[in-house]
Amino acid sequence: MLEIKNIYKAFGNNEVLKGVSLKVEKGDVVVILGPSGSGKTTLLRSIDFLEKADAGEIIFDDIHAEFARISKKTISQIRKKTAFVFQNYNLFHNKTALQNVTEGLIIARKLPKEKAIEIGKRALDKVGLSERYDYYPSQLSGGQQQRVGIARAIAVNPDIILFDEPTSALDPELIGEVLGVMKELAKEGTTMIVVTHEMHFAQDVANRVVFMDGGRVVEEGTPDEMFSRPKEERTRQFLRRILPDFDYVI
Amino acid sequence: MELNTKFMIETFFDALAGIPVTLKLTLITLLVSAPIAFFMALGKIEKRKIAGKLISGYVSFIRGTPVVLQILFLYSLLPTLLNYLVKDVLGLSFNVFQLDTILYAYIVFVLNTTAVLSEVFRSALLTVGHGQMETALTIGMTKRQAYIRIIIPQAVVSALPNICNATIGLLKSTSLAFMMSVQDVTAIAKVKAAYGYNYIEAYLDICFVYIVLCSAIQLVFKLIERYACAYKKSSRTKGGALYARNKEYI
Amino acid sequence: MRSFHPSYILEVLIQLLPFLWVTVAMVIGTVFFGGAVGILLAAAKVRKGRITRLLANIYIYITRCIPSVIMLFIVYYGLPELLLGFGIDINHVGKGFFVITTFSILFAANMAEVFRSAYEAVDKGQKEAAASIGMTSWQTFYRILLPQCTVVALPNFANALVNLMKEGSLAYTIGLIDIMGKGQLLIGMNHGSYALETYLALTILYWVLTFVVEKSFGVLEKHLSKGKKALSQA
Repeated sequence: MLEIKNIYKAFGNNEVLKGVSLKVEKGDVVVILGPSGSGKTTLLRSIDFLEKADAGEIIFDDIHAEFARISKKTISQIRKKTAFVFQNYNLFHNKTALQNVTEGLIIARKLPKEKAIEIGKRALDKVGLSERYDYYPSQLSGGQQQRVGIARAIAVNPDIILFDEPTSALDPELIGEVLGVMKELAKEGTTMIVVTHEMHFAQDVANRVVFMDGGRVVEEGTPDEMFSRPKEERTRQFLRRILPDFDYVI
Repeated sequence: MELNTKFMIETFFDALAGIPVTLKLTLITLLVSAPIAFFMALGKIEKRKIAGKLISGYVSFIRGTPVVLQILFLYSLLPTLLNYLVKDVLGLSFNVFQLDTILYAYIVFVLNTTAVLSEVFRSALLTVGHGQMETALTIGMTKRQAYIRIIIPQAVVSALPNICNATIGLLKSTSLAFMMSVQDVTAIAKVKAAYGYNYIEAYLDICFVYIVLCSAIQLVFKLIERYACAYKKSSRTKGGALYARNKEYI
Repeated sequence: MRSFHPSYILEVLIQLLPFLWVTVAMVIGTVFFGGAVGILLAAAKVRKGRITRLLANIYIYITRCIPSVIMLFIVYYGLPELLLGFGIDINHVGKGFFVITTFSILFAANMAEVFRSAYEAVDKGQKEAAASIGMTSWQTFYRILLPQCTVVALPNFANALVNLMKEGSLAYTIGLIDIMGKGQLLIGMNHGSYALETYLALTILYWVLTFVVEKSFGVLEKHLSKGKKALSQA
């Protein structure tokens, strides 16, 4: 469904992505792991054109384009098929929870207002915020804000949702509610790419885990393969550091 | 020192007659300057190279020179220049010197206020933050839609205190309009003072009028702020710590 | 239209330059006296005393509303009479005195806000940390708070300074011969001709002055905030 081929990206002299390829099929939950600075967030942002990649190709269903010369029209086409969940939620501060969800439907997708509100309410109900329609972001806790962010993403019925460290700005006691919602989505067959440090989420929910380091994909496989029989030494080092009780079988 | 209180009270009420002119100067200047200033700010932010340079030069020039000098300069240049244009270039028999001199006052104050406001708007647009624009793009809005629906409403709110300051600054500089024979508060009081050499009383009167006007402006801005800041309400359901954290995102 | 002589601009500039020191002296005098009053006002605002805080707030509120030119006239015409009431005669005192007094009154209010916001911008934790290692409150202020406040206050101070310089050009209205006053004299001597050239020369001079002030404060700020940057990058 989505394929990224050989993507390159540099910020000045700093090469962040050095030829990364990634293939996602419908219903996949792909978790990208890696130390900070490994390029995982940049990869995710490049897929949604928040960063302009220097080279590489993107194939999305029947759309086939090169990053270096992509038209505004193609960008807008692909963005309509995707949704993005940000690390720091990025809710619109001047809109209520419901308005945050309906904004994209009414303005970008030109849905009638009543229809958008209906969809928006359903999305908020799904993430457990049926009591918070008219709250402004500043009146919501971090976990609630991120759940609005997820509701905003699912409301547009995207083919794929991109999660950029959705829980890393949250207090530990609030992480569970967000991961719970994401797990629910995965169960329903939503296609997702998730950048995260939540190892248990990767183990339980992902059907594919990608390990990145230094701007390259080091290794990828099923959670089982990655967590119990990693092939690469760098993957092992990383897992050992993140999971103190990590104990792999050779 | 003895003040001529009878004169002072009389002149105070005479000077009140100049308030409409002072307010008209302030308000019309603001209304004309604001849209121009906004597009100047946008030009600088969106990195239009040549336009950005020109705008920066203009702003630095206006903000680097005294208003009184701009008044003296333009007031000695504009009438003769206009006269030349009308008589010699266009060949009309219209007498420029019959024009109301308030026109020149408008020109000076608009030139000034656009420069001041463009800086105010620029910093306000920057405080809204990149995240809001990115999010709007990921849900499929165009840049223009993002500006109109998300960025500008927030920028206006954060700019309000500075717009208030700019307005007070403008109000105070209109006291120099008497140099262009505009019959504002200052001009009226000065004329009265000249009869009996009651300068101190007249200037104290002008002070009172300005304190009243200035207070009124601040009151109006307080009201606008209260109305416009609905989304900045703190959480009523949660504790103070939460509020403190959310404030960062406002 | 009357002809325009660009070459005269340079000629005027040369005649204006000897009076630059008056403008500079006015600014320095005002910064000194206005700054001192500003510190007192800021202290009154951050301390607990309710009455002093109220008085400081009233002072700042009122001066903020009064146009400089009006304040200048009030001081110039009013102050001698007021002092005469106390038996002090200052009618023969130079005009510079009235100019510096006026702008000190106004500048103090600006400075109070600059100092206060800088003081409040520094984290309370800094004070507590200093106390915890046994510093006295003077040591804390001098060694910890002041250096940090200075960095925060610098841009606002530069801004206020530029404003002061520009507003100071109004001093010619009571007859002070600074660059602006000299410019007006030159125009008078030429019976109004070459007015445009003279104003342009003045404009250039003020623009350069502003530019110099802003640039040097920019450099100073960069220099002083070195430690800050290294910290935030670490």
